[in-house]
Amino acid sequence: MFKIESKNVDFFYGSSQALKNINIAIKPNTVTALIGPSGCGKSTYLRLFNRMNDLIDNTKITGQILIDGEDIYAKGVNVDSLRKKVGMVFQKPNPFPKTIFENVAYGLRVNGISDKKFIEERVETSIKQVALWEEVKDKLKKSAFELSGGQQQRLCIARALAIQPSVILMDEPTSALDPISTSKVEELIYELKSKYTIVIVTHNMQQAGRVSDTTAFFYMGELIEYDNTKNIFTHPKIERTQNYITGRFG
Amino acid sequence: MSHLEVELQQLKAETIKMWTLVNMQLRKGKEALINLDKDLAREVMLSERRVNAYELKLDRDCENIFALFNPVAVDLRCVLAILKINSNLERTGDIAEGIAKFVTNVDNTFDKSLLEITRVVEMYEQAISMMDEVLEAFDKEDTAIARKVFLQDEILDEINIKANKIIANYIRNNTDNVEAALYLLSIIRKLERVGDQSKNMAEEIIFYIEAKVLKHRSVKEQSK
Ligand SMILES: Nc1ncnc2c1ncn2[C@@H]1O[C@H](COP(=O)(O)OP(=O)(O)OP(=O)(O)O)[C@@H](O)[C@H]1O
Ligand SMILES: [Mg+2]
Repeated sequence: MFKIESKNVDFFYGSSQALKNINIAIKPNTVTALIGPSGCGKSTYLRLFNRMNDLIDNTKITGQILIDGEDIYAKGVNVDSLRKKVGMVFQKPNPFPKTIFENVAYGLRVNGISDKKFIEERVETSIKQVALWEEVKDKLKKSAFELSGGQQQRLCIARALAIQPSVILMDEPTSALDPISTSKVEELIYELKSKYTIVIVTHNMQQAGRVSDTTAFFYMGELIEYDNTKNIFTHPKIERTQNYITGRFG
Repeated sequence: MSHLEVELQQLKAETIKMWTLVNMQLRKGKEALINLDKDLAREVMLSERRVNAYELKLDRDCENIFALFNPVAVDLRCVLAILKINSNLERTGDIAEGIAKFVTNVDNTFDKSLLEITRVVEMYEQAISMMDEVLEAFDKEDTAIARKVFLQDEILDEINIKANKIIANYIRNNTDNVEAALYLLSIIRKLERVGDQSKNMAEEIIFYIEAKVLKHRSVKEQSK
């Protein structure tokens, strides 16, 4: 059983086609890396999994995206509960202008949870999951903006985890971070895999190698190669993939 | 433990499994030689395939770690060392197979006094104990243990050098048994190479742990 399946997916911004016939099947509890040159459609594709592209005017998808076997673009799908199931972490840490605690509690509150004890517990477990607890436990009431960039990013991951999604989408989650924070987030991804299915967009080849089980290489809106990361990084089948991962073209 | 550390630990565990298998081949080969036990010798020959399978797997694992993790410093040296130890082990496995093959070839009139006069059993034991110690050094990441094998190897060299004269003498007096005597000489040569492989592996361990390159130095310098 696949966690996410993408069947013959085409996607259009107005009349321009950004994705062409993308077929992918992602197993649960794996990390999938989406790689490829700038503008090839990685972020567009990632945003299809929680219907974030719906927010952009004049876009169209054909084909199917199934999560847990259900077509998420079918009529009558509740987009709010889809986004609860499919959390997202962005390139730049984007904490809300609230306290550290409230940032993580936010998703619970908007989902109508008000039990104080429950919220406290969930906030604590989520912050612990991202290995940030020791660093913030004494200043939960302080503004999230007082944290370093790396800490903010882990806080944003904790915020995504608090509502207990089963899929986490990450769009270049470490591109704004220093090397130490980057390796903390990478280790975190490796650990989160046991509980979540993760799809990550990255420009960093080494990162794709280190964190992912499967890699999808996109080029100009097409999926060129999709395989075990080990295969992609030791003997890609397609020359264009090899040229890209070895840095032979930009 | 970081992801890379987990991978490296698995790689080491695999290496130790292969190593244990090769040492077991050597042990069984020795028993087979002492007792001229052809069944046991055939068993040793069969396990050569398993050693080869390990070699391919370890090669692939090392390649994956290079490609996916870009290891540096001690981690890089660890994978490089394992890559070389892997081929040393594979060759040692070949040697064990070669010795076993001799046991299956020899006929029943084999003159066992050859074993005593050449000290081949002693040499065999010494070679096995070197392999065991280098394995222990690898497992415990202990270079002091690794360094011990350089001196032990001198005993193998000594037996190997003396063997020429002893075998030549024997052949002069036992012209019916020339073939067996020559086989035995080739076993001694092979055991000498087991000693060399152990030393190479000890050098790799010291390189990996201490970042020192010991290759091509004299025994005295190496065992310091
Ligand atoms: N909101 C939008 N409206 C119109 N076109 C868009 C929009 N967002 C992206 N595109 C176009 O779709 C294509 C894919 O863009 P996308 O952002 O998915 O690429 P990407 O692979 O994520 O690139 P990068 O690595 O630079 O982030 C590009 O040609 C881009 O110009
Ligand atoms: Mg993008």
